[in-house]
Amino acid sequence: MSNYFYVSPEQLIKDRAEFAQKGIARGRSMVAAIYDVGVLLVAENPSASLNKISEVYDRIAFAGVGKYNEFDRLREAGIRWADGTGFTYSREDVDARALANYYAQHLGDMFTEGQKPLEVEILVAQLGNKIRPTKLYRVAYEGTISDETRFAVLGGDAETIKDRFAASEEIIHPLKETLKNAVTALAGPDRIIETSELEVGILEDRGNRRTFLRLSDPEVSELLS
Amino acid sequence: MGLPLFDAHSDPGPSFFHYVEVAGLDTPRSSSAPELPHATTVIAVRYRDGVVMVGDRQATGHYIASRDVRKIEAADRFTALAISGTAARGIEFIKMAQLSFEHYEKMTDSSLSLEGKANYLSPIIQRNNLSSPLMVLPLLAGWDPSHQVGRVFEYDGAGGCYERFDFATIGSGSPFAESALRLGFRPDLDREAALELGALALYEAGDNDPSTGGADFVRNLFPMMVTITEQGFQELASDEVGERFRAINERRTQSGGVAGGTLR
Repeated sequence: MSNYFYVSPEQLIKDRAEFAQKGIARGRSMVAAIYDVGVLLVAENPSASLNKISEVYDRIAFAGVGKYNEFDRLREAGIRWADGTGFTYSREDVDARALANYYAQHLGDMFTEGQKPLEVEILVAQLGNKIRPTKLYRVAYEGTISDETRFAVLGGDAETIKDRFAASEEIIHPLKETLKNAVTALAGPDRIIETSELEVGILEDRGNRRTFLRLSDPEVSELLS
Repeated sequence: MGLPLFDAHSDPGPSFFHYVEVAGLDTPRSSSAPELPHATTVIAVRYRDGVVMVGDRQATGHYIASRDVRKIEAADRFTALAISGTAARGIEFIKMAQLSFEHYEKMTDSSLSLEGKANYLSPIIQRNNLSSPLMVLPLLAGWDPSHQVGRVFEYDGAGGCYERFDFATIGSGSPFAESALRLGFRPDLDREAALELGALALYEAGDNDPSTGGADFVRNLFPMMVTITEQGFQELASDEVGERFRAINERRTQSGGVAGGTLR
């Protein structure tokens, strides 16, 4: 006699989505936004060493929310993919869209075929140049990929934070204003987030090949003052 | 190339070299190719604030293939890497080192120590040189931020890594450069003295070794001179290098080509 019971595909997807959403909602959120000359990534992160934001390539950055071990493995895979692609072809052939697509495929596969869906959301940011646009690719836990024109919010509280940020960022600002607005949106009306609980990275042209820069606590405080 | 995901037990870690091997991105080795001559002179001299490196610019096969090769490159901000040996393998080697140091930094959010970088290169050299007659012999010099000192590492053909506390040379012009360095080196050289000594040693190598290019006054092509200090990798402007070699050449002309006496 079989022990399998029929579960409709709709129910299965719903259960899996709920499971992933719950996992993601347990962690803190992050905001990525395009400012006048670069891309800003801000995450609420009480740990100073377990990073959510990372450099991937010359003009590409990564951010993940949700379960640390799951998104960190994806981060490592992204760096390997980027360095491997640049090594095989050329540095200018490393494209954020291709990487975001691989993440989407992997998350989609895990969502439908994995033991359990991954409890993560991923952001791939690209700083534009002559041959590529500035882009924010957001990949959800079930593999949905979206290409955000100005900003993206990842995490459990994404919708509320998104509304707060959208209200304050009607136009593209310089870094200082964008960071202030992002932190205010992350905190909400009743809370203040300490600088030590923020992880901030930017992609900006500073005359070097590598454009990623992690901002230190004093630098963040300076910008927020 | 798909997304390179690994299980915890098969993960190559932050080493780009191991990842390349696992992913099969590296070039095949063969032992059937003919041995090509390695013709070069690169010098590294330690001084008070760091390391001076000087390298000639000539690629030699059975004839002069190129007069403006860059044999010293920044492997990262605080590390310089020079190559002697087969050009193709040398260029591949520099690329691998540059990528590896950056890869490690991105994967772990921290830089490799200078000694870590020096040791990392050993098995890469070993694998290349023991599986192929297309030899590559590098020279690594860098500023060690954790010890606040410039350091020089040389390698033997089997990948052995040796730290040198005075100076090191690679390439076919080494014996001549080494002799000049042995006579002129003092501990605690200042920047100017180290640059002068490095230029003189390369001049000697260019003068005596047919496969080392000296200063080319006709084409205005001069050896590469770099310093690696707390400020990082800095290359001297071609004009400044030209001045130095012109001055040595002038002195040599005055003395009728005699190098002896007080080292000129």
